Parts: sequence; structure tokens; C-alpha cells
Amino acid sequence: MTAASPTFEEVRPELSAAERAAIRSARIRGVVMAALGLFALQFAIQTMDVAATFSFWVDKQGGNTFTIATQVGVLWLLAGVVTGVAGVIQLVRGPSFQWRRALLIVIPFWVAATFAGLLAGKPANVTIVFAGTLTYAAPISLGAFAGILAERSGINNIAIEGKFLMGACAASVVASVTMLALGPAANPTIGVLAGVLAAAVTGILVSLLLAWLGIRWRVDQIIAGIVINIGAVGITNFLFLRILTKQTELNTPPTVENIQVPVLSQIPILGPIAFQGSPYLYFAVIVMAAFAYMLFRTRWGLRLRASGEKPSAAGTVGIDVIKIRYRAMIVAGILAGIAGSSFSLASAGSFQMQMSAGRGFIALAAVIFGAWNPIYAFGAAMVFGFADASQALLSVLGVDVPPQLLNSIPYLVTIIVVAGVVGRVRGPAAAGQPYDQG
Amino acid sequence: MRLELRDITKRFPGVLANDRISISADRGQVLGLLGENGAGKSTLMNILSGLYKPDSGEILIDETPRTFTDPRQAIEAGIGMVHQHFQLVPVFDVVEAVALGAESVSGPLGSFDRKTARARVLELSQQYRLNVNPDAKIEDLPVGVRQRVEILKALYRKSDILVLDEPSAVLTPFETEELFGIIRGLAKDGTTIIFITHKLNEVLEVADKITVLRRGRVAGTVDPKEATRERLANLMVGRDVELTVAKGPAQPRDVVLELSDLHVRDDRGHMAVNGVALQIRAGEILALAGVQGNGQTELVEAIVGLRAVDSGDITIDGKSVTKSTPRQIADLGVAHVPEDRNRDGLIGAMTVAENFILDTYHREPYSNGIRLNRQAIDERAAVAVKDYDVRTPSIHTYAGSLSGGNQQKVVVAREFSRPVRLVIAAQPTRGLDVGSIEYIHKRMVEQRDQGAAVLIVSTELDEVLAVGDRVAVMQGGEIVGVVDGDDATYEKVGMLMGGVH
Amino acid sequence: MSRATRALRPAVTPILAIVTAFIVGSIFILITDFNNLSKLGTDPAAAIGGALGLIGQAYYAMVTGALGDPDKVGTAITSPTARSVATAIRPLTETLVAASPLIFCGLAVAISFRSGVFNIGVEGQYVLGAFGATVVAILLKDTVPAAVILVAATIGGVLTGALWGFIPGFLKAKAGAHEVITTIMLNYVAAQVVLFGLRSDFLRKAGSSEPISKVLDFVRVPVLIPLPALRLHWGFVLALAMAVVVSWFLFKTTKGFELRASGFNMHAARYAGMSATGSIILAMTLSGGLAALGGSMAVLGDVTQMSNDISTGVGFTAIALALLAGNRPLGIVVASLLFGALSNGGHLMGIKTGIPADLIIFIEALVIMFVAAPGLIRWLYRFDATRMPKRFDDNAAAKEGSAA
Repeated sequence: MTAASPTFEEVRPELSAAERAAIRSARIRGVVMAALGLFALQFAIQTMDVAATFSFWVDKQGGNTFTIATQVGVLWLLAGVVTGVAGVIQLVRGPSFQWRRALLIVIPFWVAATFAGLLAGKPANVTIVFAGTLTYAAPISLGAFAGILAERSGINNIAIEGKFLMGACAASVVASVTMLALGPAANPTIGVLAGVLAAAVTGILVSLLLAWLGIRWRVDQIIAGIVINIGAVGITNFLFLRILTKQTELNTPPTVENIQVPVLSQIPILGPIAFQGSPYLYFAVIVMAAFAYMLFRTRWGLRLRASGEKPSAAGTVGIDVIKIRYRAMIVAGILAGIAGSSFSLASAGSFQMQMSAGRGFIALAAVIFGAWNPIYAFGAAMVFGFADASQALLSVLGVDVPPQLLNSIPYLVTIIVVAGVVGRVRGPAAAGQPYDQG
Repeated sequence: MRLELRDITKRFPGVLANDRISISADRGQVLGLLGENGAGKSTLMNILSGLYKPDSGEILIDETPRTFTDPRQAIEAGIGMVHQHFQLVPVFDVVEAVALGAESVSGPLGSFDRKTARARVLELSQQYRLNVNPDAKIEDLPVGVRQRVEILKALYRKSDILVLDEPSAVLTPFETEELFGIIRGLAKDGTTIIFITHKLNEVLEVADKITVLRRGRVAGTVDPKEATRERLANLMVGRDVELTVAKGPAQPRDVVLELSDLHVRDDRGHMAVNGVALQIRAGEILALAGVQGNGQTELVEAIVGLRAVDSGDITIDGKSVTKSTPRQIADLGVAHVPEDRNRDGLIGAMTVAENFILDTYHREPYSNGIRLNRQAIDERAAVAVKDYDVRTPSIHTYAGSLSGGNQQKVVVAREFSRPVRLVIAAQPTRGLDVGSIEYIHKRMVEQRDQGAAVLIVSTELDEVLAVGDRVAVMQGGEIVGVVDGDDATYEKVGMLMGGVH
Repeated sequence: MSRATRALRPAVTPILAIVTAFIVGSIFILITDFNNLSKLGTDPAAAIGGALGLIGQAYYAMVTGALGDPDKVGTAITSPTARSVATAIRPLTETLVAASPLIFCGLAVAISFRSGVFNIGVEGQYVLGAFGATVVAILLKDTVPAAVILVAATIGGVLTGALWGFIPGFLKAKAGAHEVITTIMLNYVAAQVVLFGLRSDFLRKAGSSEPISKVLDFVRVPVLIPLPALRLHWGFVLALAMAVVVSWFLFKTTKGFELRASGFNMHAARYAGMSATGSIILAMTLSGGLAALGGSMAVLGDVTQMSNDISTGVGFTAIALALLAGNRPLGIVVASLLFGALSNGGHLMGIKTGIPADLIIFIEALVIMFVAAPGLIRWLYRFDATRMPKRFDDNAAAKEGSAA
């Protein structure tokens, strides 16, 4: 079958079936990659005369632009060469080749080439796409951190969606009320902060409800999560229709303005993408760094992970697993609530019914795709954000790509990941199991 | 430090688990705590480790009364536990697993000071010759090493009193000897040791003093120098116990089960059964001895069709079943009493009656292939409950609510209800009281005498020696020796189990 | 203990759960009742009276909306014309219309839960079933008689939903992919599939910019009562029939025995020679097919036009009522009628009193919460836990499945 591959050698009999299978699949991978490389080259020949124009804003959005003009074919050529090289290395190195890392290099080339191909000569502003990616990623990643915290402590958390929605609603109402109380001359930042605080408190309450149902009443945590997701829709719809549609002044919060990060925002090209954005983005990045450190380098993280992996091991050395779980859920509630506030305070400028629109589940997808690691989860959120931002750009430019295709990416990626198609990720072993302490 | 428990009583709904139990151990003394399953050993230990609160009674350390409301206080009082089921986080490395709960920290964020912890683990490991690699991941370690990590955990917390709960259950005889060496060393250095077990030989070997528990009470405290196996067994059970099983000589006939050059992998893809060749004849009991995790589980699963065979062949009555399904194999007259009866043998949330037909529901008279015949099922259950003396309020009681012995009777009754040609029983008496053990053994011998071939897999040397007409020993996935029942001795089989050929 | 009280025992927790949920719902009506709240300082008696009056009005409207208006029933009895009778029984028939998809989906959830699989994807299976039926119906339009279209579309819908259940079942059985995660994700993929399909001129209503299909006016599930403005159709009868079939299947057949055995304890089922993976796949496929049958009946019977709004969270409500009914088919019918009445009555409540019908969604969530936490109910009402019946059998399978 694969006898034609250059590295074929007689399989020694002492190799185990597992090793033989690894060699076989490595070989298949190599051949597939090489073939894809050839495919890309084929595309390159066909598209050599199609222009690909990418532009960036240099100093600020809407300011000077910096343009890269090339041909779609060139991009395909690059993609083809990179893929082909990866395929050849794979064939030479066999199972020891870190092919997943290679994919991280290969895929961006394909994405860029496909993107340019779809645009078919229309100039595209990439700054908007990347900035949009980050804006989208901020609440998703915060929600994912909430999920990671909960699950690492041993509580299944499918209620991120409900926390988003409740946070969004509370933020809008409290921010509006605060501004009404303070009068029109007040600094809108105070209103925003009040709204964010309210979202955090709401997040805590919802999170504690989930923890309480799961821990105290031993409700299956999946069911408790469903309860919260449904209940959040019911209560926010109810409040919106009963109060907010009539008294719209209670739903006109001050909006969160973008922040120019000193110095960094002046960096050409990079500044407008990453350092002139929403405060939620910076908050998410700071939380990511702090959380990653706390989780893997501190006593708190050690105990948290022990609670989620083998709670009895923690309990028998005197660690209060229940307390750890409640505390983790409180912090998770804060993060998810704040993420929720971004929908009403930063994106829409008011609360709307079901405005979280399934993004809580995309955050859950980021938890899994990010292998319960804050840094990877942020990466996953960026991948999903990129899919969203490019879909927005394509539709603005009138490219007829079904948006449903790109919108499905987070969900499909998650299914592929849990099915172990590209290697299995393992979640905390005890997540979802109640723990009896004494 | 001297440890004393005085008049400890602990009641659970419907059970008096500990009834005025008093035990004591002096500094540097090894106290053997002997008892059957359900005698109250675990409850007592959970009280000592602060997991349970006694209803009445006192814990005294160096004559000072102490009360523990959570494990932390017990640890602070110097009590270190080595649990029977290891309490180690599988994804941690040794340093993390040992330090958990007693971490050294630095900095404002409470950063885990791994360097200090690692140095201490290394130092203790060398001092007590535990030979543990501090950077190894727990889930990659063999069970024997994991146990040493558990001991490290106690030492790391400067425990003066070390409690070991059934520590030899997963060890080879050789590893057990090593463990005894460590225990003696610790005792010499002044650690007080409580050694909990149900194995008579072990307490006799290592303990300075033996307290026997029976049905939640102290049945007696004896000096090992004056004690005998028979006397201890009598104290443990409350009557004289046959340490052997009454059975006539085997009359082996034609070969029923034949394994040739069998290779089977475990879940992680490692070769667990590595070239096993074995024959079992009608009318004989072959006892397969070996320490847990030497491929017996995989071997049994392969025979009954639950695990794919890598290479080699399995035949039953000359018919190859290497690629057969569990149901096809069962239909050849194979009765299977699985190792983990709660997980694999019974469905706790179904009724006793439903459990009786778990593998025959698709056949007449219990169904016509599509519809179940409730009446036939109930009739069958009523008969089986009577025949096998299953103590249950009703055949419609959930199987999960029965006692361990009665659950095992349900399993055995079900498996023996079909025409039996071959019995595969894995750890058939694990966790049972002596009465149930004797009953199960009697039934096994009965099957043998009726002409079935019987394979009993056990980690208990006592059981292996008592029931086996022949004893095969499995180690590292291979059969390292087959001994005739009459020639099988503790020493011989024990040495084979430990890998000494 | 008399027979009657023993028979009522299992209903104690669900009934208290529902009562408690309504009490909490009332509190929310009260605290959002700004009109009366603002009068609390000046005229407390009127404020309290007004507030309680509002709650009374709201729940009265809900009941009449669900069961019928006594005045109109009176008119129908005194002067029975086709029109007056139809007006009188219309609320009740609308309750049954609302209950039908709930019965299908509740049974779908129950089958999966009983088999130890946690199918949260009923929502998506329901929607895709309706979508599949729509596609087949439009495909066959004007080619074959309406009756043939009806049957073919129903089969098409059921197969589509069964496939949508098969996928997570297969992934769980063969790759160990947790069904909770895959079905959640597939719900969203299903919505995207529907949106994608409704982009095409083939399906989309001519001239519409919204993602809605052509009206399926050429095929219709026959109505049960031939009176004007009554939508109740044979889909309801089919739902009842399915409850009987599912009950028979689960408890009286060998396959049902296998499903339940695998659901409670997959290992023991495997050891007993059953195919646990086969059971998982079968259960998920049947579950998806049942949900899809509900979706097909809805789009071919009363909704008549495909869009993503075809399901108003039916798949999630179904989880609630399956839990409420302890996954017993008969209980699911009863619970579905109740929930159907709630959602149907909720509309009239919204019209009459301005209290949004979405309150019902919230109340539903509370009902699930209280049912899933029987200890909480006992704690709230301080009654003796030891005298409660064991609910061991009901949700244990689902829990075991989810913990795996």
C-alpha cells in the first residue's frame, strides 16, 4: 500500500502492534501532507494572476495604511512549499515528528491563501480582522477561564452561557441606574464600573447556585447547568419584556470605550491591532497570565488541581475540597459575569434578549480545545475569534461564503477534539463527581 | 509516641461498626490489627485519621486526650496514614503528590517551593532507602513504588504514628518482605506502627502485638510469639475455621480449556499476557496465583471474549474461541464470576430477578427473542434465591442493596444456572466474610466434581493453596510455574509470585 | 398505608416542585410590579391588594388560556354552533398541540437517559427532523399525492434526526467522546445547517429576506376535530401511541432490557454478553428519531413553515419533564400536558396582564431544579426524608452515564 513511500523499510518483528500502527499512521500523514502540498502548488499555478491585497492600518484605525500587494498564487505557492516540506520531514522522521506543531505553522498559510482566493482581488484590511479577532476572543476566553477554574476544581460547568446572559443584563441595568442616580454630568466610567461590578456579583450568585446545587444537594452538575442556562433565558427575557422595553432609560448604559495603551499603542501596525482595543481584552490577557501562573506554580493551583483530579487524595491530607470548590466557583462567577457585561456595555450598548447567543458554549468549546489550560484556551478563543472576524470581513466585502460554515467552526472543532481525531485531550478526572467529606 | 484508643464506639444507620473498641501501641511498637472484612477496621482507622467522628470514646496520644474533627488535626498530631486505595493524584509527579497539603511556599502569591520539597523528598527517600525518583509521574509508577510514595507522604509530615491499611494487598511476596524491612526500620527509629490486615501470616511475621477485631469488637489481644494461625483464625471468625477446603482428590479427564502461546494487551497497549500456554481438564481446579496486575485480569477477559487476543489461540473443548463474542463463549458452557462484582457482575440498580437473567434474557423461557416473559423470570428467581440461600427481602429488591456475600451468591447462582463446562472465577471471595468464602468454595468444588473444569484466579495465597488441585503462578504476563496441589507450599508459590524462579 | 397514598407517593416531590416554582414565579411578578410597589408607601392596603390581584389575574388567565374560558364554554353549551364549540375548546386543543412535541422529545430524552446516555441534543434533533421533513416535502411537491408526500416527508424527517442522534452515539461508543459535549455542539451545528439550507431559493419563501421556508400548504397532517380554527392533528395521537410503544419497548422487550442494563452498568452488560456500544448507538439513534418525529409532525401539522424558530426550546423543556416524570413514559405524557398547558396559558397571561410568557421558561427551570434536588424540597418543607420513596431507579442511569 505505502510501499512507494521513500522511507519504507522492513518492519522488524519485535515491533509491537502499537509501534507498527504509529509508523503506519506517520507514513500516511506524511503522504497526505505531501499530496496537499502538491494540491496547493496546483492552485498556485491557476491563481498566479489574481491579485491579493492586504492592508494594515499603521498608527490608528482609519489612519495611514500599509499595503502588501501580491498574487494569490504566491500565497498558494508558499502554502504548498511549507506543507510539502512538512510532509517530507514527517516521512523522514517517522512517528517522532512533532506533527501537531508543524500543523500550527502550515495552517496559517492555507488560511491566508484561502482567504485571498475568496477575496479574488478585492483589497482587504487585515487590521480589522485581527482587532476583531481579539475583541471577540476577550469575553470568550474569560468565559473559558471560568470553565477551566470550575472544572479543574472538580465541578462541571456548562452554565457559562447563563452567567454571560445574567452578567450582561445586570451590567446594563445597574450601569444605567447608576448614571440616572448620579445625573448627566457624572463620569460615565463610574457607571461602567458599577455595571461591571454588578455583573461580577451576579456571576458569583449564579456560580454559587450551581455549586450549591451540585455540592450540597448533589444535583447532577450537567442538569444544574441546564437549569441555570434555561433559567437565565427565562428571567432575563421576563425582565426585558416586563421592564426594560417600557422603561428604556433602565437599559441605556454608558458604553465602554477603547483604551490606548501608553507607548505600546504607538507601535506601527501592531498598535492598532492589539493595543488600541477594549479594556476587556487587557483584562483577559492579565487574567490569563495570572491564572496560568497560579494554576501551575502555586500552592493554590496544586490544591485546586488535586481537588479536580483526585479529591480524596486532597481530603485525606486535610485539604478542604468543598471549600476549594466553592472558592473556585466564586472566582469563576466573577470572570464569567464580567465577560457577560462586555456584551451589553461594549458591543451592543444595551441589553437585548438572549444576547449571549451561544457564546457561552463557544467558551466551553475553548475550554476543551484549549485542553483546560488558560494559555491554550486563549489561543482557542482567538481561533474562534478569527473565524468570526473573517466571516464579518467577507460578508462586508460581498464575498459569497456561507457564514454558517465559519460560524460552525467552534462547534465542529470541539467535536473533532473530543472524538480524539487529532489526539485526545484529557479533562480533570473528577470533574462532575460529588465528593463526600467525612 | 504512645497511641491509645479507648472505648471507641461508632454507629451507622443500622450498623454498630465499632463497639467499645480499645487498642494501644507503644512508641516503636508494631501493632497488628487483624480482622475480617466488615470487622470494623476501616471505620476505626477513619476515626483515627479524623475522617469520622466517634460517637463516644477517646483517642489518647502520649496519654493526652485528642479529638480530631478533620484529617488535618490528625496529621498535626503526628498520625500518618497509608491508605489501602492509594491517595495520590495520578497526574502529579512524586514531589507534588507528596507535598500536597504540606507544601512549602514562597512569595506573596504562595508559589509552590518545589526545590525545597524535592530536596526533602530525596533526602527522606535516601534515608529510609525507599528508592523513589522524585520527578516520576505517579500514574507511570508500579504499585509497589506508589506505596513507598505513600509512606514518603507520611514521613514528609514527620509522622510519629504510621497506620498502614492492608498494605500488602498489591505487593509481591518479595515487595512485602521489603515493606516489612522498612516497617522494622521505622519502628526501630521510634515510629509507632499500626498494621492492618486480614492475613494471618503477615501479622505473625511483623507485629510485636496483635489485636483481633470481630464484628466491631475486640476479640482478643495476643502476643505473636505465643499465637498460632489456628488461634488467630478462631479469634477472627469466632469459631474454628477449616484453613483448608474439604474436597476429594481430583479426577481430571479430557482437556476443556487450552491456551497456546497467548498474547494479550492491556488498555494502554502494553503486552499484559505474554505467551501463556495452559491446559485445564474437566474435573480439576486450577488455581492461578499471582500479584494483582500481572496479566491475570487481561487473561481472564481474553478467555471470556471481552478482550481482543493479539496472537495465540484459545480453545474450549477443542473449538477455537479466539475470535468469539462473550455470548458465543458463554453459550459453550462457560460460567464467569468476574473480579469486580459491583462493576462487572451485577447491575445494582436492577432487581435481583433481573440480575439472574442478565445473560439468558434473550433465550427461552425468559423471552421469545423479542418479548420478555416476566412470569418465567420471576419463577426462576424464586428458585435460585432458595437454592443458593440468597438473603434478600424479595426478588424485586435492588441487587445493589444486598450484602457483598449475597451479591456474590447471585452472581454464582446466575453463572451456574446454565449447563457448565468451564468455570472462570476471578477473585471469587474478595471482600467476603469467612462464611461466604466457605460457601463459594464449596460450590466451586461441587462444579468440579460434576465434571466442570474450574479456573480460579486469586491473589490470596491461602485461597490458592486451599482450593487448587494444581497451582499455576503468573508473573509479568507469563506462567512462571505450575505446581501440583500437594507440592504447593507457601514458600514455593510465594517465591514464584515474586519472580524468583 | 392505603393504596391511594402509596400510589401518590412518587408524585409528592414533583407536585411540591411545581408549587414551589410557581411561588417563586409569583415573587418575581410582585417585585417587578412597579405600579403597585410605588403605592406601597402611600396606600399599602391597595398596593398589596393590587399586587395579589395581579398574580391572581395572571394565573387565572393562564388557566383559562390553557383549558378554556368558562363563559365561552357556557355559550357553547347553551347555543352549540360549530363556531361557538370551536371557540370553547380551542384553548384545550391548543394545549394538546403544544404538548405533542414535548411528548415526543420527552420520550426521546427518556430513552437516552434510561440507556445511560445524556442526550442534550434533542433540541437539534427535533429541529433537523423538521428540516428534513421540509426538504423532502418541497422536493416532492406536485409530483405525488399529498398523502405520499406526508409519509415520505415524515420518514425523511425521522431519518435526518436519527442520523443527528447516531453521530454522537457513534462518537461515544467508538471514540469515547462525551455525549454532553458533542450534543451541545451539534445543537448549534444543526441551527447552522438549517440557516444554510434556507439560503437556497429551493427552500426559502419567495421574496423573503428572512431564513424561513416556503409554506407547506400542500401537505398537512389531518386534523382531529373538523371545526374551524382548530389545529389539533393526528400528531398528538401519534405522540400518545409512541408513549405506549416506548413503554413497551423499554420494559417488556429484550432490546429494552439490554438498553436499560447498559444504561445502569455498561460493564456488567458487556460481561453478560450484551453489546454496550451497540446499545449506546441504538439508544441515541432512536432518541434522535423520536425527537425528529416530533419535529416532522410540528412542521407538517401545525407550524407549516420551517425556520429556526420552529423549536421554542422544546428539546430543553423535554429534559425538564423527563426528569419530572422520572423517565417514565406515562409520566412524560402527564408532564407534557402540564408543560403544554403552561406555555399555551402563558400566552393569554401575556396578552391579558402584560406579564411576559417568558416567565414560564423561568418557572420550568425552577421545576427542573427542585425535581433534580429532592433533598432541597424536603429541606424546604421539612418533611421526613426516610418516609420518602427511593428515587433510585429514575435518574440513576442518567447520572451514571454522565459520570463516565
